[in-house]
Amino acid sequence: MNGPDSVFFWTAFGCYLAGTVVASLYAGLRRPRLRTLVLALTGLGFASNTVALVVRAVVSGHLPVTNLYEYLTFFAWAIVAGFLLLWKRRDLSLLTVFAAPVAFAMMVVASLFPARIEQQLIPALQSYWLTIHVTLAVLGEAAFAVAFIASVLHLVASRRGSSTDPRRFDEMTYRAIGVGFPLFTIGALFAGAVWAQRAWGSAWSWDPKETSSLIVWLVYAIYLHARLVRGWRGRGAAILSIVGFALTFFTILGSRILGGLHSYG
Amino acid sequence: MIGNQLALTVTLAIFGALALSLRGVRERLSSMRVGVVLLAVVASLSTVGVLIGQGLPEASYSERFGPALGRFVVNSGLSSVFVTWYFLLSVWTLTLSVASCTFRRILRLARSVEGGRRAPAAVGSLVTHFSLMLIVAGGLVTALTGFRRVDSRFLGSGDTSHVPEGDFTLEVLEARTEFSEGGKLSEYVSVVRVLEDGESAGIHRIEVNHPLTVNGVGVYQYEMLPSPESVESVLLAVTLNPPEGLGDPFELRAPFREETPIDGTSLSVKALEFLSDFTYDIDAGTAGLRSIWHDNPAVLLQVSAAGERIFERWVFLGPRGHEDDQDLPCRLFLLDYEPDFQNGLTRFEYSRQPGTPILFAGLAALSAGMCAIFWTRMRWRYEG
Repeated sequence: MNGPDSVFFWTAFGCYLAGTVVASLYAGLRRPRLRTLVLALTGLGFASNTVALVVRAVVSGHLPVTNLYEYLTFFAWAIVAGFLLLWKRRDLSLLTVFAAPVAFAMMVVASLFPARIEQQLIPALQSYWLTIHVTLAVLGEAAFAVAFIASVLHLVASRRGSSTDPRRFDEMTYRAIGVGFPLFTIGALFAGAVWAQRAWGSAWSWDPKETSSLIVWLVYAIYLHARLVRGWRGRGAAILSIVGFALTFFTILGSRILGGLHSYG
Repeated sequence: MIGNQLALTVTLAIFGALALSLRGVRERLSSMRVGVVLLAVVASLSTVGVLIGQGLPEASYSERFGPALGRFVVNSGLSSVFVTWYFLLSVWTLTLSVASCTFRRILRLARSVEGGRRAPAAVGSLVTHFSLMLIVAGGLVTALTGFRRVDSRFLGSGDTSHVPEGDFTLEVLEARTEFSEGGKLSEYVSVVRVLEDGESAGIHRIEVNHPLTVNGVGVYQYEMLPSPESVESVLLAVTLNPPEGLGDPFELRAPFREETPIDGTSLSVKALEFLSDFTYDIDAGTAGLRSIWHDNPAVLLQVSAAGERIFERWVFLGPRGHEDDQDLPCRLFLLDYEPDFQNGLTRFEYSRQPGTPILFAGLAALSAGMCAIFWTRMRWRYEG
């Protein structure tokens, strides 16, 4: 990994790793200073992550989302951005502590893939729909990641019977999915269909990645339907949100395993 | 075939309308529980479809899952699950469920408007539900009246392909692959002349992401191959025999159909012909192409001395050079070749998807409806 962005990638990687360690300590000790340290490390990692993406975009001349390394680096950035938006919400600031572990996990997976910078995109990716389709899809998936952590915290808070009210994590799960679901619909499905029609002659081909995205959409549709119509909450809803994010992650990596029209790198 | 599909669709539509006219059925279908179950069924079948893999040869399922399970996958239709009756029935029932739910929402919205209450979020949810019916309708229209097929042939410059679905013919003028300055693949370009009733109807350029539409039929750049009968250049290993010289073989790059001198000798070599998949017709005594693939590349080399032809030999890629000719001034081996991407073969996909505008309208409505529900300060409360 010798690209000019690599130093910033590894700085972000290190910050998220350190943030993960300190977040673990905070989960056990609950010292306010540790929380502040996690936030500082996460912020530093986010800044470095941002620079890594910008450098890569400048060098390559396009949005860095054309292979799994870039996609996951961007995904980590979007997840942390989503968490940092919650920073000032005092009742939800606990969530922010867990941004670093999720981002670190994404960076670890990203580091397993080739980090080559392609200045020349293959013909299939030379379209402005790349930016629209992928950016919105990633932002939607990042919101699902926030929902995932909120769901995990909901389960933890429920089990312990701690002073933390699990209902606020339940509410956060719903709100995050409420943000992510329209973004995912517009980006992954709508923009994807328009681009597919233009590139392949059909808006829908039952390609593995298309179908996986549909499954993710259906799972969150079930969640929202049950929640909005019947007020379904609690443990079951949290588990469904976790399943939804697991499927989202599978969708991201799925084209690597299952092949299909989306196997670009 | 289309008649059968249309008859089945009309039958299902009538059956659906009758079912929805029954209040009990309508209420059952519009219940949240049924909706969630149907969503889960479609999601589960889709998951099975993704994990199993679709449309593979029967043998590959036996290889992956064993003979018995592989046979079951094929016989039960799981190998092409998205066209099975049970998947389509699930989608159809889900559509009926959404339709009945939409109907109920329309009534509720009408009541709330009459009552002078604000109901903007209800409009959002109504739009979202209605959009799902549009999406299914768009898919159905395309399935019934559209088509999509890949041309069975690769076409080179001068070749034509008739497209009966649009009643026009394409004549390929150019088929080339373009590269960036760094040597990276940058574009596949086909230049075609459209012929209608034998008359030219214009010359067009087709690229990936830039299809051509003629008479409602989209022509898409599907695949491109380098020329099977020409190359840019060949890389040879040359070993000189006495009296021209002795010693280790050395490399020589020879542009196609250009006389290239062999350094230090009076000899020159010229690549006369190239075949990407060489075969020989013994009866006719001629060499030819077995396929357009680069499975057995060979080049016909001519060696001359002071402008006078000495010999010609077909030389194959790899170590099978002509090493039997000890009496000749040199031996030649084909180490590599630079494919000719400027005179390639192109392949098109043809598609007409009449339901696409309806589908996109549905997706746009879905997106707008969701934004109305989730991104405004409106609170959507279920009152039923």
